[in-house]
Parts: sequence; structure tokens; C-alpha cells
Amino acid sequence: MGESAGPLVAADYFDGRSARAHPVRLQAAGDRLLIDGPTVSRSVALHEVRWPERTRHGPRVAHLADGASLHCSDSAAWDAWRHAVGSRESLVVRAQQSWRWTLASMVLIVLLLAAGYLWGVPWAARAALTMLPTEVDESVGETALAAIDERLMRPSELPLAQQQRIAGAFARAVAALPAHEVPVHRIVFRKSRIGPNAFALPGGTLVLTDELVKRVSADEAILVGVLGHELGHLRHRHGMRALAQVAALGTVAGLVVGDFSSLLASVPVWLGQAGYSRDAEREADAEAVRVLRAAGFSPAVMVAFFEAMARHDDGGARERSGLEIAIASHPADAERMRFFRDAGAAR
Amino acid sequence: MSQPSWIGPAGAEPAFEAPREHRLDFRFTGSGSEYFRIWIVNLLLTIVTLGVYYPWAKVRRLRYFYGNTLVGGQPLDFHGNPMTMLRGYVLIAVMGVLYSVAGRFSAVAGLVAFIILAAIWPALLRSSMQFRLANTSWRGLRFRFVGSLGDAYAAFLPAFVPGIAIVAALAAVSDPEQPPAWYAALMGIVSLVALAFAPWLWWKLKKYQHDHYALGPWRTRLTASCGSFYLVFLKTAGAALAAGLLVGVVVSVVAVLGIVGSSLGGSGRSSPLVAMVIGLVLAFTTLLAMQLVPRPYFTSRMQNLLWSRTGNEAMRFGSQLRFWPLFGLTLKNWLLVALTLGLYWPFAAVASQRMRIEAVSVTALVDPDDLIDQARGAEGEAAGDAAGDLFGLDIGL
Repeated sequence: MGESAGPLVAADYFDGRSARAHPVRLQAAGDRLLIDGPTVSRSVALHEVRWPERTRHGPRVAHLADGASLHCSDSAAWDAWRHAVGSRESLVVRAQQSWRWTLASMVLIVLLLAAGYLWGVPWAARAALTMLPTEVDESVGETALAAIDERLMRPSELPLAQQQRIAGAFARAVAALPAHEVPVHRIVFRKSRIGPNAFALPGGTLVLTDELVKRVSADEAILVGVLGHELGHLRHRHGMRALAQVAALGTVAGLVVGDFSSLLASVPVWLGQAGYSRDAEREADAEAVRVLRAAGFSPAVMVAFFEAMARHDDGGARERSGLEIAIASHPADAERMRFFRDAGAAR
Repeated sequence: MSQPSWIGPAGAEPAFEAPREHRLDFRFTGSGSEYFRIWIVNLLLTIVTLGVYYPWAKVRRLRYFYGNTLVGGQPLDFHGNPMTMLRGYVLIAVMGVLYSVAGRFSAVAGLVAFIILAAIWPALLRSSMQFRLANTSWRGLRFRFVGSLGDAYAAFLPAFVPGIAIVAALAAVSDPEQPPAWYAALMGIVSLVALAFAPWLWWKLKKYQHDHYALGPWRTRLTASCGSFYLVFLKTAGAALAAGLLVGVVVSVVAVLGIVGSSLGGSGRSSPLVAMVIGLVLAFTTLLAMQLVPRPYFTSRMQNLLWSRTGNEAMRFGSQLRFWPLFGLTLKNWLLVALTLGLYWPFAAVASQRMRIEAVSVTALVDPDDLIDQARGAEGEAAGDAAGDLFGLDIGL
């Protein structure tokens, strides 16, 4: 054996039945691998060997079809021998061993994640929702309302006549819109334990708190705008979309850093959802403008709403830093006021 | 092959001579920067293929970690076939979807799904152990997992009792939004009982695993008592409490300083922002202390207990993993992973693997050269391995 003097490499041969190492020399001859030592002498087809991948650290272990294996702790000698024999490495192995490829992969990952965040996840969430029956929205909304009633709300103390007046004003405003663009909805009044607020629950429930009604002095135009905004959340199924988007973001974040800590993995999900939520608020504001215009009100009335909300908050102007905006679920007030003011002027 | 004893070739040593001890050290030779490159390429391929590449990525990762784990100078190796593993993942994904859909459908369907899961879970876990060990080798010998199916059920089924009680109670409640008083009481009792039995369950699980590892003629046993597990759990609770107290003191000091500072400064305008920043910092400190102290404490104490009590008459493992170095490493890993937005994670994984692996050693009364494989173990289902992966259960070293 070994007359066709090719390059050699020293290795340990294990037969797969005993743990004893047999020193051997390896040589490639044609399409055969020659394994030769004091206690072992055999030859196997080269293509039947499962070759190890090149790494900078760690020994090389090649597997033969019958369970025997070849170990070589001198990785450099092994790699030189494999190279001399003319073996080709897979693209993955070459990429893993090159910083240039690694950097290129990182850039690609960032681009893919950004594209996925901007277009992929919202598109997938919307597509998933078209397949989801609206009964699911209703049951989610019911559960949410029950939980909110238990912890955050009390029955409304507004006079029934006032409740009916507000609901009537909103119904007239909505009636002016094309019927197919108006989702099924009902308005419920609650006394809040968490200050003035209004929100939309999946399935069609619009919750309006006594505190908010009082804060805007029951101004009909503003309340139509606020309810129009919440109607926008319903029309775009924002609540359900948020659930789907959080699930998608959570899956991706878990894939990237979840191995290390699920706590850290929740941070990008939280920041990412806040970004989606700000987009949803902008969509809902656009709907508020539509409803206000349909009812014959100027969208600029909403500027007074933000002023009324800010006046009581903490005495000062609500100016927010970049960090605060990044983690906020709503766009900055200044931006939203500008939007409504412009919409009022554009009329 | 036909040798019945673990002493190797008959008559190799005179019977009266005291057996010589062979100490095999564990070394880990992997590098963070190399694993970083493997990880990035794996991540890219997994994202591009929408997850289909995941089993291949996992095999590459395991082969890197195993190949760099040297026991007595010889590496471990992983032989799992990604294609088999992919089938396992698909099966598990389908089961997971069916399970979560059943829960949404109705409480009774949820209960049925949970019982079915409990019924096949022990078999899956055993399968996972078989797959993992049958595909791991050292010096050309494959490991085996020899736990029986009956033992798997005996070990794991008690863990499902609290879950079944809760899901069954939920199915019995007519209106989940207005649960009756007995429901809340039952929840409390079940949680307390589950907490009290958690160390016992953990002990049963670990005993089932460590009693059934085999290599050649060797089979390990776990001699740690249930009481020693309770001790580790209690000490961990104590460590968490101490950390909590420390954080409490720091929080109070910062709060007092904050009050003094704001009354001295008198700048009413910036105080809400300052308060928010202080609040965030404190929240993170608390979270980190709750995560940072108990986990490495439990890891080090449990690893030492498990592995210094695993062995047989011919070989014995040892583990001296110390808490403070592991705590320091965990702190460093957390900070750097957070600062680099996750990019440090492969370095962190390699560093903690090194610390944990290199704390372990084996002392054998037999020359490892004389080990003879007796039987090839059943390979097990890759679905089991996938299940263990998805639900976070693994062999633990």
C-alpha cells in the first residue's frame, strides 16, 4: 500500500466497538482512502467517508460507514492534507471561517429584519386576520372588557340623557359615511379608575370614560373626533393585528436572542410593537378626520382636545425626549396636533 | 464484544493488584469569535429559509460544542441527522398548533389536549434522551440511554398532576369570567402543593436521567438523595432573598437621595424625567438581581450535586463549579449582551460552557482504552429531541 506516493497524514483509528486508539496513516489513492497502521490496514471509498468541517478550534473526526472513525488532533496538518488531496469545502464552511462573509451576513440579517419589520410582519398580520373569523375578535373583546371592568372601571355616573346625546351625535356623524366602511360598533360608558381615556376593543366595543367627557366639557365635536379615532382602530382591526404582530415579533426575537434570555428577547418585541402602535394611532387619527368631516366639523377641533388633556397632566408642557418617543405607544402630541390642524386648514 | 465484564481482556491484570485510577479531565477548546461566525451564518440561513434550516444549524452548533469538549484529550462528537430532526420539528410544530387551538376552542377540549400531551410527554422525553445519547460518541463509542418507558412514566407523570387539576377545574367552571370562590382556593392550594413538591419532581426527573446513561459496559447511577435536592432549592431561595434584601436597601437609599436631591434642586420641570430614569434603573437593578443571583447559584450547586453523585463502581464523575466566578461571568455576559444588543451572545455561550465543562472530571478504575461497546442503543425519535428543544428540557451538561 501507499506506492502511489500521495500526501499522508497521521491519525487515530477507532473501530467503533472498542475505545482503543490505533495509530494510522491516511492516504488518498484514486477514489479510495487507505488507512494503514501497525494494527489496522483497510481501504474505503472516499465518498463513503463523512468528512469533518474545517474549524479553527477543535480536532477533526471523520466517520466511516461501518461506525469506525478517524480522529486527528493536529487540525492544521489534517486541513493541509485535505487541501492537497483536492477536497472542496461547502459554501457554508467557507462563510463561517471568513470575517468578510460573516460581516456580509450580518448586514444581510439587519436588512432582512428591517424589511420584515417594515413590510413582512404587518403584511402577514393583515393576511392572517383576513382568514380569522370576526367571532374571534368578539370573544377576545368580551374577555378584555370583563377584565377591564373588574380592575380598572366602575359603572358610568353620567346622566343617561347625556350618554344618549353623545351616542346620537356619533351615530349621525357615522351615518354620513358609506355604510360598508363603518364596522359594527357599540359605545359603552364607564367611570374610570385610571383617569380620562377612551379605547376600542376587538369585536366593536368603544369605551368612553366619564373623566374624558368631563375633561373636554362634553364638547360634542371633540367627542365625535375621539370616537372616530377609536372607530378607526376597529375598522383596521388594530387590536387583533397587535396580537398577531406581537406573536410574530416574539418568534423572531426568540430566534435571535431567546437562547440567551427570554427577558432580553422581550425588549425588541416591546419596542417593535410600540412602533407599530404609533403607526396604528396615525391610521386611527386619519379615520377621526374622516368622521369629523363627514359630520361637518373641522378636524382642528381635536387640537383643543390635546390641549385639554395636556393642561391637567403635570402642569407643564408635555415635551418628550427621543427615548420617550421610542418607547411610547402614541406619537408625540405635537405631531398629532399638527396633523389635525393641517387637516382642518386643508378643508 | 463477548466480554461480559468491564475489566477488558480477561487476565490482562492480576486480580490482587489494586486498580490504578485514571483521571480524565474535561476541557473546552471552543472560541467565542469562531462560534460567533458560525452563529451569524446559521442565523442568516435560518431566517432566509423561514426556519427550515434550523435543524442543520443545530447540528452545526452541537458538533462545534461537542467537538471542542475534550474528555481525557479525546473529543465528543454529535452524529444527528438534520433531515431526521427536521421531521421531528414538523411533528412537534403540528402538535403544538393543535394543542393551542384546542385550548381556544373550549375548556373541555383544552383538558383533553392536556391529558393527551401528558400521556405522550414521558415517551417523548425518553425518546429525546435516547436520540441525543445514541448520537453522541467518545473514542468511537456511542453513548446509550437505557431508561425504560415504564420508569419514564413513573418519573414524569406526577409533574402533570397540578396542571391537570387546574385545567380540569377550569373545564368545570361554567363562567370563566366569574370564577366561584372554590376555584381561587383550589388554585392557591394547587400552587402551594406544586411548590412544595417541585424539588422532589426535579429529583425524580434527574434520577431518571442520571440512572440510565451508558457507555460501553458502563452505566451510571445517581446516588444523591431527595433531601439534598431540597437543600439546594432552599439555599437558592435564601440566596434570592439575600439579593432581594440588598436591592431593597439600595432602592431605599436611592429613593432618599432622590427626595433630598429634588427638594434641594427645586427644578420642578425636569423632575418627572429624572424620576422616570431613576425608576427604570431601579427596575432593571431589581430584575437583574433576581435573575443574576439565584440562577448561577442554582446552576453551580445543582451541577456539583448531580455530577459528583453520578457514577458506578468503576467510574465516578466530579464537579467543582464555584458560585462566585460563575456569578461574575453571568454579570459580565448580561452586561455585554445588553450593550451589544445581543451580538455578544455567542461569546457568552462559549464562556459559560467553558466554565461549566472544565469544572467536571471523571475518575475511572479502568483504562479507557479497554472499554468495549456491548450493544448499540435504540436510536430514539428525533421528535423527542425536538420536543426537548422547544419546551426547554435538555440533559443539562
